[in-house]
Amino acid sequence: MAELLQHLLNGLVLGGTYALLGIGLTLIFGLINVVNFAHGEFYTLGAYVSFAVLALAGIGFFVALVAAIVVGAALGWLCEVALLRPLRNESIDTTMLVMIGVWIAMQNAELLGWGGVAKSIPHPFPTAPLVLGPVAIAPLRLFVLVLAAGLIAASWLLIQKTKLGRAMRATFQDRDTAALMGVGIGRIHAATFAFGSGLAAAAGALLGPIFLVYPSMGDLASLKAFSVVILGGLGNLPGATLGGLLLGIAEELGAGYISSGYRDAVGFVIIILILLFRPSGLFARQERIA
Amino acid sequence: MTRAGGWLLAAGALTLPLCLQSTYHLHVAIMAGIFGVLAMSLNLLLGYTGQLSLGHTAFFGIGAYTSALLTLKLEWSFWPACAAAVGLAGAAGFFIGRLALKLRGAYFVLVTISFAGVISLVSVNWIELTNGPLGLPGVPAPELGPWSLRTKTAYYYLVLAAVALSYAVCRRLVRSRIGRALMALRENEALAESIGVDVTHYLVLAAVVSAAMAGLGGSLYAHYTRFVSPEVFLFTYTVTMVIMVVAGGKGTLAGPLVGAVLFTVLPETLRAVASWQWQMLAYGLLLVLLLFFLPRGIVPQISAYIAGPPRSDPGSRAPSP
Amino acid sequence: MGKRSIGLVALVLVALAALAVPGHSQAPIKIGVIEPLSGPVAASGNYVRMGAEIARDWINAKGGIAGRKIDLLIEDNKSDPKEAASAAEKLIVRDKVPAIMGAWGSSMTLAAMPKLEEYGVPMVVETSSAASITKRGNPWIFRISPPSEMEALGLEQYVDKLGVKRVDFLAVNTDWGRGSITAFGDMLKKRGAAVGVAEFMDQSATDMNAQITKIKATGGDTLFLTTAVEQITLVMKQAQEQRLTRKIVTTGGSSSPTQLIKQAGAAAEGSYHIVFFMPWFPESMPDGKLAKAFVDEWAKRGHPFEGLTEGFRGHDGIATIAEAIRVAGKDEAAAVRDALWKVSLMGVNGPIKFEKDGPTGKESGQSKPSIFVVQIRDGKVALPDFLAKK
Repeated sequence: MAELLQHLLNGLVLGGTYALLGIGLTLIFGLINVVNFAHGEFYTLGAYVSFAVLALAGIGFFVALVAAIVVGAALGWLCEVALLRPLRNESIDTTMLVMIGVWIAMQNAELLGWGGVAKSIPHPFPTAPLVLGPVAIAPLRLFVLVLAAGLIAASWLLIQKTKLGRAMRATFQDRDTAALMGVGIGRIHAATFAFGSGLAAAAGALLGPIFLVYPSMGDLASLKAFSVVILGGLGNLPGATLGGLLLGIAEELGAGYISSGYRDAVGFVIIILILLFRPSGLFARQERIA
Repeated sequence: MTRAGGWLLAAGALTLPLCLQSTYHLHVAIMAGIFGVLAMSLNLLLGYTGQLSLGHTAFFGIGAYTSALLTLKLEWSFWPACAAAVGLAGAAGFFIGRLALKLRGAYFVLVTISFAGVISLVSVNWIELTNGPLGLPGVPAPELGPWSLRTKTAYYYLVLAAVALSYAVCRRLVRSRIGRALMALRENEALAESIGVDVTHYLVLAAVVSAAMAGLGGSLYAHYTRFVSPEVFLFTYTVTMVIMVVAGGKGTLAGPLVGAVLFTVLPETLRAVASWQWQMLAYGLLLVLLLFFLPRGIVPQISAYIAGPPRSDPGSRAPSP
Repeated sequence: MGKRSIGLVALVLVALAALAVPGHSQAPIKIGVIEPLSGPVAASGNYVRMGAEIARDWINAKGGIAGRKIDLLIEDNKSDPKEAASAAEKLIVRDKVPAIMGAWGSSMTLAAMPKLEEYGVPMVVETSSAASITKRGNPWIFRISPPSEMEALGLEQYVDKLGVKRVDFLAVNTDWGRGSITAFGDMLKKRGAAVGVAEFMDQSATDMNAQITKIKATGGDTLFLTTAVEQITLVMKQAQEQRLTRKIVTTGGSSSPTQLIKQAGAAAEGSYHIVFFMPWFPESMPDGKLAKAFVDEWAKRGHPFEGLTEGFRGHDGIATIAEAIRVAGKDEAAAVRDALWKVSLMGVNGPIKFEKDGPTGKESGQSKPSIFVVQIRDGKVALPDFLAKK
């Protein structure tokens, strides 16, 4: 029983981090319809910014987080304006290929700039785990979970309550009508890309101290983010949140009780099953024509 | 493509081994040919049906492993093993086609990625069958009667034959009724359906041929490199294939071949001229630049250039394919 | 638009032309090096490269080989077997190298091996651990790194002192990890230990909590861990979080204990590591002076200390090839191959001399490298407690 509880707790913590990755991507994918393979690279970028601020400049954790978000958002905005906007009328695979090029370029630039050796980010939390009955969790992870939840809540508020959020939702539902109603589509696209990339960078800054920072850390993150997006439904923010948690728990239980070698297969199989039987995602209320 | 131009190209391809200076160049040519087959297979799906499959390495890998295992463990000769590889890959294509082609766009993409991911994990973990990460070394070279096709020159001609075969199949398919139905689907699916085109049937057909062709590429790869490991499922191969098709010009017959040659030669050229630190970075930047300036792909752009700017009179010649 | 596409066609033609330009032959002796310089194991590949460069510079400073300097032609195999084979082809055919060192990962080495036989060029294998490399009957392969079986034998004498009764394995899901589990599992069973579970992790996985939870439930006393230093760090930290309290032994020599101390901190305390070079006490190496000189030169170049446990392989590989060229008297592939059977030199790891391994008539060369065990105690690398007690 203790083993099962520990697995569930592990899965919850892991899932929170997947959720953060998925939210940014679901907005980009859902709204701008770009298969953003470079999403993982913004995650990596956030981690490296955090490393630079914390380990090199020696400033505090929150500053690092904010810096990561700002840099991620700025670069995301730049990508949209410089690369995606001119290719707006091209097909989805052209824009996807451009993002693949960005992915290759960013990852190798990081390899060139920082070297291939993994970096570890110092953090102020004690390493001894908090013991809650039969299970244990590290204070740092708890902190990250809380912050992630905070960021998710903040994103939700932004989408629901602000004028920008309303404009984004309108564009998502019906682009042409939104344009007719005076919404600047270009601005919304750029803002969405910046927002999603900023969130990915935040995920990187938060997860950097838990794991390690190295140039190829974003590859798996991208793939997991796509799984979460599918689980939750394109453009569905609460769906992505729940989807992330579910994926984390499913992976954890699969690795714990079935086979650790096939751990990543859990995510893939879930995608296949969901797409075959409920393509709009587990949590979407209305059926979207695929 | 004029008739004379076609003959010239064929003559050039046939005499290439004599013109090339070293076996290294022949090696590059062989790899370009194998990837040409792969790119053409992906183009069938991507260019003609408009559906993007990012899991094509699954069919490539299935072909490679089938061919390698049959010749290594059951000691089959290359030719039936290759046929089996093509068949099995095609069957996998049928399976995926029937399941996944209810989906469109991004959802289809993700199912194909997941399928390739699962197959990849199976190849790593099912040690008894695939030898897992250790891979299958020592895959035998093909034999034609008493002659072994081990030498590079001989293998080049084998690959050339495969490329020609694949091209011919694509051409027949595209120009037939099936091809027209596919293109109707690509342009406007709802409309095509309304006039009675059986969408799923044609898409599945395209998927089967596409997968079978990728399986052929896999078999050729396995018997050339003579070593098959789970790395054939690496995502970079998928990315490379997609780059070749889109940069070369999807929806054209020559596009994938041009793309395959360019993107096989390019990394090797970079290897020669750039020190290793800059190779991949240059590759990524070049890719972005290429797409920026030639978003339709090389072949359509060149064709458009040759045909001249569009005139308003209806009598103007259509651009050549 | 038309002009740009013409430009692109021109680019293609130039690219093809560039390939057609023949390589020039030059006075320096060329040695090929194939390592993963980009991708997930870029750090390790680069450390080997740095070690190789030190060997090159030392040899050239002493006047080279018979008055000719050595030139290292370094290729990136991008952790992809296809690239490793292409790199080998290019080095052999275009650059005409008489010998190669490479290719780090076992799949990369296996993929390049057919090229060696096709063209008759020897390769010194500096890191790969798969047994099949020297057992395949490829007479152009000479390995200075230990296969997993040899590593396991090196630990055998300490099994009782370590007090291993019930062991579990956690390894990266590659040929290296799996081979290690088989080799050490067989050795431990022979010594009477019981083997519990064998868990795997994907090469790029960062969360191993599920595997650790499973291992915790077996009640064993020792965990054998085989993977690269980044994952070892993560496993140790996560094991500490889950309060896993058992002996940890890492195998494979890529554990870089210094980096572990830095990044895993207290979580690494007490762990044992099988290494093939002890840069913390170089005087204890078979050739103490050489080892110390290597450590000093590495520091002088500003390379990170934690890279030494892998960088030495590059040095020993190049030193071996250079010695073979010297013995052969010429930089010609077949002569170098024959000379490799005759060489006997002292590397940073210890004595290097090749013995026959594999099917008769087509043997590969396998050297018997020295194997060491160290422990992390009080935040520092030290000789293991069971040895120090003497």
